[in-house]
Amino acid sequence: MKACSKKKKRKNTVFSWMWSAPSLLLILLIVIFPILYTGYISLTNMNVYHWNDYELIGLKNYKDALFVLDNGFLTAFLVTILWTVVNMALQLVIAYLLASLLNIKGLRLRNFYKTLLIFPWAMPGYVSILLWKTGMFNSQFGLLNQWLTKLGMEPVRWLNSDGMAFLSCTAVNLWLALPFMITIIDGALQSIDRSFYESAFLDGANWGQRTRYITIPMIRAIIAPSVVITTFTTFKQFDVIYLLTQQVGGKTGANVHTIMTYAYEKAFITNNYGYSSAISIIIFAILIVFSMITNVKPKEDRES
Amino acid sequence: MKKFLAMMLTIVVATGTLCGCAQSADQLQADPAKEQGNSQEEETTTITIWHDKEAAVAEVLQNRLDALAPKINVVLERKSDLTETLKMVGNDPKAAPDMYFFAHDKIGVYAEMGILTPITDIIPEDELDRYLDQTLEAATYEGAVYQLPIYYETLLFMYNRLYMSDDEVPETTEELYAYMQENTKGGHYGFVEQHSTPYYAAGWINGFGGSILGGDKTPGLDRPETIAALEYHKKFVELMPGESEYATVNTLFKEKMAHSTIAGPWLIPTVRESGMDVGVAPMPVIDQTGQRISPYMGVQGVQVLKHAAETKRDAVEAVLRALMEPDIGAGLAKASGCAPANETCYEMEEVASDEVVMAMKETAEYAVPMPNVPEMDVMWTVAGNLLTDVNMSNKDVAESAQKAQQEAERLIESMQ
Amino acid sequence: MSKKVRNKIMLSFANVFLCAVCFCALVPVLYAFSVSLNAQNSLLGSDFSFLPKQLTLANYGAVFTQQPVLLWFKNSMILALATLGISFCTAVPAAYVFSRKDFAGRKAVLQLLILLYAFPSLLSMTALYKLLSPMGLINTKTGLIIVYTGTMAVFALWNMKGYFDTIPVEIEEAAMIDGADSVRLVTKVVLPLAKPTLAVTAMMILIYVWNEYIFAVNFMTGADTYTLAAGLYSLQATEMSGSWPVFAAASLLVSLPILIVFFALQKNMTAGLTSGGVKG
Repeated sequence: MKACSKKKKRKNTVFSWMWSAPSLLLILLIVIFPILYTGYISLTNMNVYHWNDYELIGLKNYKDALFVLDNGFLTAFLVTILWTVVNMALQLVIAYLLASLLNIKGLRLRNFYKTLLIFPWAMPGYVSILLWKTGMFNSQFGLLNQWLTKLGMEPVRWLNSDGMAFLSCTAVNLWLALPFMITIIDGALQSIDRSFYESAFLDGANWGQRTRYITIPMIRAIIAPSVVITTFTTFKQFDVIYLLTQQVGGKTGANVHTIMTYAYEKAFITNNYGYSSAISIIIFAILIVFSMITNVKPKEDRES
Repeated sequence: MKKFLAMMLTIVVATGTLCGCAQSADQLQADPAKEQGNSQEEETTTITIWHDKEAAVAEVLQNRLDALAPKINVVLERKSDLTETLKMVGNDPKAAPDMYFFAHDKIGVYAEMGILTPITDIIPEDELDRYLDQTLEAATYEGAVYQLPIYYETLLFMYNRLYMSDDEVPETTEELYAYMQENTKGGHYGFVEQHSTPYYAAGWINGFGGSILGGDKTPGLDRPETIAALEYHKKFVELMPGESEYATVNTLFKEKMAHSTIAGPWLIPTVRESGMDVGVAPMPVIDQTGQRISPYMGVQGVQVLKHAAETKRDAVEAVLRALMEPDIGAGLAKASGCAPANETCYEMEEVASDEVVMAMKETAEYAVPMPNVPEMDVMWTVAGNLLTDVNMSNKDVAESAQKAQQEAERLIESMQ
Repeated sequence: MSKKVRNKIMLSFANVFLCAVCFCALVPVLYAFSVSLNAQNSLLGSDFSFLPKQLTLANYGAVFTQQPVLLWFKNSMILALATLGISFCTAVPAAYVFSRKDFAGRKAVLQLLILLYAFPSLLSMTALYKLLSPMGLINTKTGLIIVYTGTMAVFALWNMKGYFDTIPVEIEEAAMIDGADSVRLVTKVVLPLAKPTLAVTAMMILIYVWNEYIFAVNFMTGADTYTLAAGLYSLQATEMSGSWPVFAAASLLVSLPILIVFFALQKNMTAGLTSGGVKG
């Protein structure tokens, strides 16, 4: 029996690798190769002055990179953590509530609402950010301030101070990210067998209990990968903060830096690819270590 | 399982062929473009020029260059993210253009990367005499001319005649300040500019004798002249809106809420369209130094990529020579208010009579060519941060300047 | 009776609330819509209203007459469909074995894949260029399709695997006893049950390909090779040139197909386990 299962396992292994090979090969090419290449470039002096004749220079770039890992970097790192926690918490709660609302029995316009709600996602990100920055947040002409003035309130400088800019960036990031989260959670809610609720209902469980003991455990495994992926994306979010507050010519006076915008200003603008690659690898390493410490990984309970 | 694999393969192959077809169709189209007639010398040579200009400018160039057909077929292609893409594909003849049309400030980067050929390798240097000295100076990096100048642009002092009569136009900056104090109220502004954008603030810094990046590639942010300029500029900023980006500033002027502004020539067609009687005047003289506000000058022109100079030399030369004709400058002046770099153009009536073009020619006398060295790439960001610190976050000028200077030096060092 | 009334009240409350949320979410979009109808070339104005005073549809006309949008649309369609096809063909079997089989390296690979998302990909483009260029895949749709498929592969694999995990094995075991082989098992038993996740994954891939412009702009040259997103990017107005209303009109037009597809796919997202009839 045991030998048989061992043999079966080996057969399984060959079969499984064969079936997953095309997918893994693509990932190897498009996702892993750039990481390895960046690692290689980080050991060279590829920069404006050695664009094609770069050579290996060992760990010099990493030594230089330590200059960037100063107090400013630490602050940026803490801001990034705050940014990630705030964004993920709000995203999950809001998306969960909206998805639950969409799943109320008898809601006829469900598909209509869902389609409208994904609109922010149907436009390229830079268009949305531009619309927010210029159309909504502009302190002279922005829609938000025009409304405030009509209500007799003082106009607000949405992007000028650190705190306000952080909130405004969060709002935009939520706006951009919620459609994805709603879709994922909605999809997960759809997968729950209704009979669970029926029996729980008969047992007299209230909404809170049903949520806690049925819904959340059931959808957790399904949404976990998406949540982890979104957490990483939020962690390395660059466009929202950079385009809203820091673009050259459009700086607003706020000084909200995440590790990505910080690294951009301290390294990427130098056109020194070796140096920037070293910074990328360091950030990569920090993120991995950090995610291991905080145990951010999709729970995978199933044993089969 | 086999069946599944077979099915999968079929689909992959099917999609592959589908894309393959699409791809080979692409290549069929691209072939004559990319591999210029190696079969027959007499075949058409295609020259691809990337640019980032408005349609009116591209049209003038295209019309003129179409005259080179059928021997040379010139394709002008508007390319987004031109500068970044060039870094990547510059040395790849399959993907890179043959030339590109852009401002002169990137030639240092590309020359160092080794993707550009000096213009003088193709056109003898003495034939470049016809260009204004400042434009040639701008086009020269490390002693070699890398750009064939076509036209140049500087910021201009503009005013709305509805509010500011020709007599009221400030001669000096103190007069401007007095005007601002008097007229900045009730949602109106006496004067607006993109005060915290380095390209705009540079005029004040240069007018004080300071610099963002000095001629010897050293940052000039902590020089006493620069600090003095920032200190002085601050009181003007206080009478301007808190936002510095162009959408706000230009809209204020366009919607007749700002009486005057310093802006680029590109603003003029739009404001004229909205029915404004806009005037253009020389920059005010800074009282302390007796110099005018001296904005950066940007020279727009054509750069030749190395691979094109090697494989299509004759065609490249023909295109360059066509672009050297004075009628191009005149056409651009007429179509889009561009100030020709070719000095002979100013003998033509249609150029000499253009108010905007002549104002730019006058400003060019004291304007400073934008630095074209690679170091400038980091200066835009550092100077922008300094301006934001000083103008928006009210930080101490000298201290911020010191900090920015160190930051700039560190960044420049890490470029190597 | 009282339960029915309570349900009714709750439904109307949910409707009102969702309407409000949708409106809030759509404010920037409506703003873009207003700009696109405006005859004046401006993104800003001191007196904004959702219906501009000088109303015009000319900007929508301009998108179609001045730009080869139909060609861009065709390019986007080819890329989207090919990416979708290859993604499914590669990710479904991979997700299936990662969900169902126990094999050496399984756990490690799964964990590793998700960690790859921690890589800050600002520099990936140069690397991918160096990869595709020697293969002659720059300036080809094949190159872009490979990049897109690879980029979405981890997500597709994980997302579908997560859903497959919730499908009770017993259903397959029953089918296996009936003599179905693995391919049959996946196509005839698992996939019909996994419709919601297939729909969601398809949506993610479509939206990604539809809106991706960085690779499309950098790896493709020539206006006739543009995708809709890349074409839109080239229409972007700047301080110096371009038309804001046309750009706004184009932005809205580009997102329209996505919304239509999303609306159409909705039906499939609801056909979950409940219709499968077997309980775990």
